[in-house]
Amino acid sequence: MIPNLDPAGRAIVYVLDDDHDLGAAVARLLVRQGHGAKSFEDPEVLLSTYAGAPAHCIVTDIMMGSLDGFALADRIRTMDTALAIVFMTAWPTTANAVDSVRRYGGLDYLEKPLDEARLLAAVAEGVAWSRQQRDIRARTGTLSPRERQVFDLLVQGHSNKAVAAILALSPKTVEDHRAAIVAKTGASGLAQLIALTR
Amino acid sequence: MSSPPVLLLRGMRDAGRGALPQSADLLWIAGYAAAFILTHRFAAAWGGQGFYSLLYPPAGVRMALLWSRGPRLTLAIVVAEMAVQTATGWIVPGEPGWITNAIGVARPPLVYGAVVWLVCRIAAHASSSLSIAPMPLGLASVTAPVAVAVVALPWALLKPELTGVVGLRQTYASLAGYTVGDLLGVLLLTPPLLWVIQAAREGPRRVFWPETRLFFVIGEAVLVLGGAIAFGLLLVRIDLGVPSIPALLAVAWIGLRFGRTAGWCAIVIVAAIVLPWTTGNMPLAERLTLHMSLTSVVVVGYLAGSFADAQARARADLARRDRMLFQAERLKTLRAMSVAVIHEIGQPLSTLALEAKHLHEITVGADREIAETAALINRKAASLSMLVHRLRRFGGRALDEPSALPVSSLIETVAALVRPEAKGRRVLLEIAPVASNLIVLGQEIELVQAIVNIVRNAIQAADGCVQIDAEGQGDRVEVTVTNRCPGHQAPQPGMGVGSLVARAILEAHEGTLIRETDAAGMVRATLSLPLVGAAG
Repeated sequence: MIPNLDPAGRAIVYVLDDDHDLGAAVARLLVRQGHGAKSFEDPEVLLSTYAGAPAHCIVTDIMMGSLDGFALADRIRTMDTALAIVFMTAWPTTANAVDSVRRYGGLDYLEKPLDEARLLAAVAEGVAWSRQQRDIRARTGTLSPRERQVFDLLVQGHSNKAVAAILALSPKTVEDHRAAIVAKTGASGLAQLIALTR
Repeated sequence: MSSPPVLLLRGMRDAGRGALPQSADLLWIAGYAAAFILTHRFAAAWGGQGFYSLLYPPAGVRMALLWSRGPRLTLAIVVAEMAVQTATGWIVPGEPGWITNAIGVARPPLVYGAVVWLVCRIAAHASSSLSIAPMPLGLASVTAPVAVAVVALPWALLKPELTGVVGLRQTYASLAGYTVGDLLGVLLLTPPLLWVIQAAREGPRRVFWPETRLFFVIGEAVLVLGGAIAFGLLLVRIDLGVPSIPALLAVAWIGLRFGRTAGWCAIVIVAAIVLPWTTGNMPLAERLTLHMSLTSVVVVGYLAGSFADAQARARADLARRDRMLFQAERLKTLRAMSVAVIHEIGQPLSTLALEAKHLHEITVGADREIAETAALINRKAASLSMLVHRLRRFGGRALDEPSALPVSSLIETVAALVRPEAKGRRVLLEIAPVASNLIVLGQEIELVQAIVNIVRNAIQAADGCVQIDAEGQGDRVEVTVTNRCPGHQAPQPGMGVGSLVARAILEAHEGTLIRETDAAGMVRATLSLPLVGAAG
């Protein structure tokens, strides 16, 4: 897991558009806003570099030559579920707008020419969401498989006793696991544990 | 909705009111009375005892008046003919049998009026080739004289003193002669009278054919008719009777080939040869046979010509519809192209707008000239982006869910779309501020289209200024488009489809469209739509 993507603490945003000029312009805009932004023209290039250099947010065109924005979203989600995606298009349709949010987990659907304020707001929101997701994953990632089982049952609202019964453990063992979970995630109580699953 | 009895009563009331001549008709009636006296006297020169065996021109005048001014003049024509016949002493009130005489005078115009009314009604509702002009006139011209004879038959048999003829044979001969006379009168006289009336109303008609074509038409017609007549005369000369078939075929050919005008000219020529020949002393049977043959020739020639004209008109209608289809197809292509262009522009414009904004931001503190130029570029790029968004919203999407739409934003969009055209025509668009609480429910693109059509019509007809207002009236909003119309105007280019489309869209939104012109020449199109929610 990558707790911090950028040494300088900036959020990483990839911009993907087969129009190089537009991709570069959007990337420059985001850099000026304090993001670590980089533009790509070819979805395959982005996919091949992504594994080694993940990002917080991707701003992608939908209509592209080889691989469209939706297919890219599907493939990149299998690599990273904590990535925010913002779609942009010069061919807006109602059907695509709905699909982009409901089926492909997009954060927003922007029409070209881009509304700058809306683009920046969407990216900021995406970065914040991605950071939170990565934080949660970082904290729960260190749990042992048994601790993970206990954690999942606890956040569903089961008492220690019930968890012990379900997992066929002694209540004492469950108590120990719970203490370990709290120590590893830094959560101070059940409420904070539940918040980690959101 | 009114119930059927109410509609029937209203129809009867309207019919009663419509049967009375209006002041504009009085001159026509007076003219008709004069023409009736003249042609009646003219026909009396060869009128036989109790019937008109040759040609009865007043029938043609009567049909021409009924056809051009409408069957509502029937009663007025009856009154005029009775007055004339009373003045000439045919009807003498008080004398024995005067009522029978009066009925005999009133019957033909009544039957003519009824036939014309019936033919007009059927033609208006039928969609066969018989309902295309000038076929209805041809049908009425042939049907009316026959109908008069059919109606008169029982009277003639029951009251022989009316026609002054007795016996079945005489009665039939009289009625056949009557029908023949009326048919010839109507078919020979009505068409030229109607042409004169039409020419007086619309100015002289342009020649239908190009001149070289006209030359060939006349050549062929003369050849065909001349050959037929020569052949007929040859048969007469060598004592083989008077065959009408060659003339019949010739006029049918001419009518079908060249239409009603040519057909009519041909039957006039045939009638001009046959009629004088039969004025002399001739056995009744022989003369009647000749006249019946002549009538067949005339009827066939005229109907063939009318049919050819109707076919030509139907073909012209079809061609016009084809052109409209082509036009619609072209518009569809144009729309697809403009949508593509809008999208293609959107791409580079995105880059341009982003960079222009950046340039503007970093040059705020720079040299004044640079800062101003950058600000200008930014402004223009932003307004272009807005335009692309607006155009795409209008042309790009095929259908939209109905949504709540502020009237003010509808009118804003309309204004943006029509402003270039208004400018091009030097028309000032005056748009009153619209209250923001006026909200309607509907498809934005369609409603914009409807209002655009109405405003475009106003711009095309206006002299200088078009005003758009929107006001709430209870639970509805009324959008009024007002323009001053500079008197009588040539029809505008286009197919008149714009306001039809606007009306259809508004009615689909439970709205209405009313167009009115006030005494000052202001044309006002008011569209009304239901408001939604807590407006008001």
